[in-house]
Amino acid sequence: MGRLIFLVGESLTNLRRNALVATGAILAVFISLTLAFGALVVNELLRLNTIGWQQGTHIIAFLKDPDQGGLDSGGQLAYRDEVAGWDEVSAVHYVDKAGAYEEFKEIFASRPELIEVTDPLKLPASIRIELQTIDLYRDVQFRLSANPVVWEVRSFGEQIDQLSTISRVLNVLGWGLALVLGISAIILISNTISLAIYARRNEVSVMKLVGASNWFIRVPFLLEGLIEGVVGASLAVLTVWVASRNLHSLGDTIQLITLSIPGRFFLRWGVVLVLFGATVGVAGSLLGLSRHLREVDS
Amino acid sequence: MIRLDSVTKIYKGGTVAARGVSLNIRRGEFVFLVGPSGSGKSTLVRLLLRQEKVTRGTIWVAGKDITRLPGWKVPFLRRSMGTVFQDFKLLSTKTVTENVAFALEVIGRPRSVIRSQVDQVLELVGLEDLGGRYPDQLSGGEQQRVSIARAFVNRPLILLADEPTGNLDPATSVGIMRILDRINRSGTTVVMATHDHAIVNAMRRRVVAIDKGEVVRDERVGGFEEAQEPETAAPPPPGAPGLPLPPDTDGYGLGQAELLE
Repeated sequence: MGRLIFLVGESLTNLRRNALVATGAILAVFISLTLAFGALVVNELLRLNTIGWQQGTHIIAFLKDPDQGGLDSGGQLAYRDEVAGWDEVSAVHYVDKAGAYEEFKEIFASRPELIEVTDPLKLPASIRIELQTIDLYRDVQFRLSANPVVWEVRSFGEQIDQLSTISRVLNVLGWGLALVLGISAIILISNTISLAIYARRNEVSVMKLVGASNWFIRVPFLLEGLIEGVVGASLAVLTVWVASRNLHSLGDTIQLITLSIPGRFFLRWGVVLVLFGATVGVAGSLLGLSRHLREVDS
Repeated sequence: MIRLDSVTKIYKGGTVAARGVSLNIRRGEFVFLVGPSGSGKSTLVRLLLRQEKVTRGTIWVAGKDITRLPGWKVPFLRRSMGTVFQDFKLLSTKTVTENVAFALEVIGRPRSVIRSQVDQVLELVGLEDLGGRYPDQLSGGEQQRVSIARAFVNRPLILLADEPTGNLDPATSVGIMRILDRINRSGTTVVMATHDHAIVNAMRRRVVAIDKGEVVRDERVGGFEEAQEPETAAPPPPGAPGLPLPPDTDGYGLGQAELLE
């Protein structure tokens, strides 16, 4: 216990003596991990917002009326059953003309003049298709379009594709920046440790003379790097969490999208990031120690 | 206690600091390593501490071949040795007590042991009242006493001193030598590199003269310069009082009564 107190005390002394450089190292870890964590959060938000689409209707096929060369209601139901038998399809729901008009009235409830001028018979029947996975939407869309009884096919796959692309770009950018800044954080921490060793070269030299083991000499410097990494990472997690909370309250005014991230996401990734920060800190310390401790001898 | 067999040390660049040095130092001996600056005295001290590795030869310390000692065992070797240097190597941010205690803290001694051993050793070097002072509040002689206290606090088998009086005036040097002698008489082997004629001549202990990395003289009871007729007397056994000295022969007035208790 006495040794532990001694070692922690030595680490805190190091930090105090190199406060400015240590702050720089903490900021480097903070910025890199904030970017990385920010990218993760944005990605999660996109996932949460597209999950509703992904689990709901993916494709709507509007069907032609019989007078346009389409099928009668019996034929349309038979076509629904045919589509339901396709491997890519998970479920199919048929909406007839009356159902389409009810839906129309529901959507445009705030615009009665529009409802008034709309002829219920002009609204087409449709089949709503839920796919096994959204990735398959192009194949199904193509097969539906090829059938002459189908008037028009609409798919949400394109929008999901676009969001996925944005998500990918954000991920690459976020992680790329985090990687570059993470490396600079390791170098900065390594320099902090080098400076700490230089500032304490007399003590290190005396420690070696009186028979302190190599690990006993190294531990305070490792602890210093660890503290810098953990503090930087914790600040990053806290900052992103606070930002996300503010975003969540902003989300109350935006009805169409979800801006709320579950607490367990923060807990899980927060722990991962703090561990990552600790690893970065220790890696930086080891680099600094390997470069400079050997040079300090009496 | 210490044995050097044909030890050679050649630094990068070809400087030969030790050339086939063979030496046998028994337990409890007090040995002066003398010679001009650059003769290789300090290199021998560094080799004994394993701060340097030999180029050739073997060094035995307390029955162990330290030239083959793996790096991780070197700290344990150093725990059996105390070291005193010309520049004291005290930590300016620590008090006298903290400086001495530091040597025990870093090897993990319990607090109660540290407290009692530090008190004892500060009393031995006569600094029991100055424990709360910082090095820059002490004279050179007092700083060297702190350094000796730190070197001896762990009760080492061997005490290596590299020019411990080099920065001190003659009167202060006497006090330092008195402490080193007292430590030696407790059974600790003392090896002291010095070019202080007066001290060596006054102490009349074993003298090993080194020049250009070679042992050029090894006298059981010697002086700084080569005696006209080599001494043949046996060295004092551990715990014995010092040998008689001619009074005031060195100009510093170092008589036996002053030098030894």
